[in-house]
Amino acid sequence: MRMNSYGAKPVNLRAINFICNAPQAQSVSLVGDFNQWNAYSHPMKQQPDQAWFITVELKHGHHRYAFLVDGVLTLDPRGMGITRNDQNERVSLIPVS
Amino acid sequence: MKKPVAAARSQPKPGAKKLPASPQGKIHPVVIYPFRQPGSYSDLEGLYEMVARLNKEKDKYARPITVIDRKTTAALEGNRTFHDFRKHTIARHSDILDAWCVDTCQMWYSGLGMAFDRGKPDDVYWLIPGDFNYGSATGKEVLSRLHDLPEICMELQQDICVGEITTDHAHPKELIDSYGTFALLYNWFPTEAQEIRGYTERPRSEFFAVRHGFLREMLRQRWYAYEQTMVMLLQAVFAEKHIARFEVGRICDLPEGRESLASVMQQVERTERVLKTLWRERHQPMSGWVEQYRGLEAQSDQVRRTALITLQSLLG
Repeated sequence: MRMNSYGAKPVNLRAINFICNAPQAQSVSLVGDFNQWNAYSHPMKQQPDQAWFITVELKHGHHRYAFLVDGVLTLDPRGMGITRNDQNERVSLIPVS
Repeated sequence: MKKPVAAARSQPKPGAKKLPASPQGKIHPVVIYPFRQPGSYSDLEGLYEMVARLNKEKDKYARPITVIDRKTTAALEGNRTFHDFRKHTIARHSDILDAWCVDTCQMWYSGLGMAFDRGKPDDVYWLIPGDFNYGSATGKEVLSRLHDLPEICMELQQDICVGEITTDHAHPKELIDSYGTFALLYNWFPTEAQEIRGYTERPRSEFFAVRHGFLREMLRQRWYAYEQTMVMLLQAVFAEKHIARFEVGRICDLPEGRESLASVMQQVERTERVLKTLWRERHQPMSGWVEQYRGLEAQSDQVRRTALITLQSLLG
């Protein structure tokens, strides 16, 4: 349980792991509604198995996201859903309960 | 590590539709009671445990509706178990709509129409098919995910959210959609078929949720007695609606193995019939449509025959 930015009402956050299997990529970042699709705020780290990984705390609800693999917006093949973002690009969906 | 290459990702493209903020509406669950009463009530008991929970969450959900085909009720006349289940479970947790229906999609029409009449502009309507194995372990897991469909419509301002079930590659549903539905869709509506396939491999899914505004548009158009999900997806693509797809898990419709070859053939044939009608409705105002129609019809005939030969080899 965390406090929101005003320090008033508590906000439920849950740690979510994202994995992107792109062994040849030079850079991968996670973009989504939760970071205003900012390419720089959630860079992923490459693991010994070459997969890219990041843990992000997300609030309850449904979130749109995608991986930015060397600058190319890429769906998560392990994602639970598909929709479009505000730029009309196909992106993945994740539920957080 | 290089910095990500991101060309002004935060700037929306010109013409992109920004999702408007919306006040919270209510979710209207609409349960479609199985046409054929299953021998065991375990699946329906699992389903109505969820319906009972929804009925208690009055801030979030409208009173659920259960649609029962009157032929189902007539066939169960004198069946004490059914009447007890109806009285003590279905009627307790939902309003029952008894209706004479030519096919399942007319049950959808009646139920969604009744819910729409009770609804408001920010509401979402959630179709819940009753003839699935909700009593099984995997069915319970699916039941726990179904609520995501209307919530996605509500939270992310989607016009329609289709639930996708996972089946074996050899499952008749998957084979019908691969060799029949999509083959026919690509013939009659190639651009739209490509868009739909970008979202889902199950364009005939019985699991979906739809927003008030889009449902109003759909209710005012021709409602087909079958394959209505496919029609709604096509209409959503025509009108550039917001579409989402969400995986609801692995599940089988009951009774197992009901997809006989005759049933498979009927499903492919009626898909073709719906697509032909829809194509004519959209194109008949245009000059020269008859010639184009004849060409597509000849191709469609070949597609359907090929699909049936393939499906006969795989399922016969």
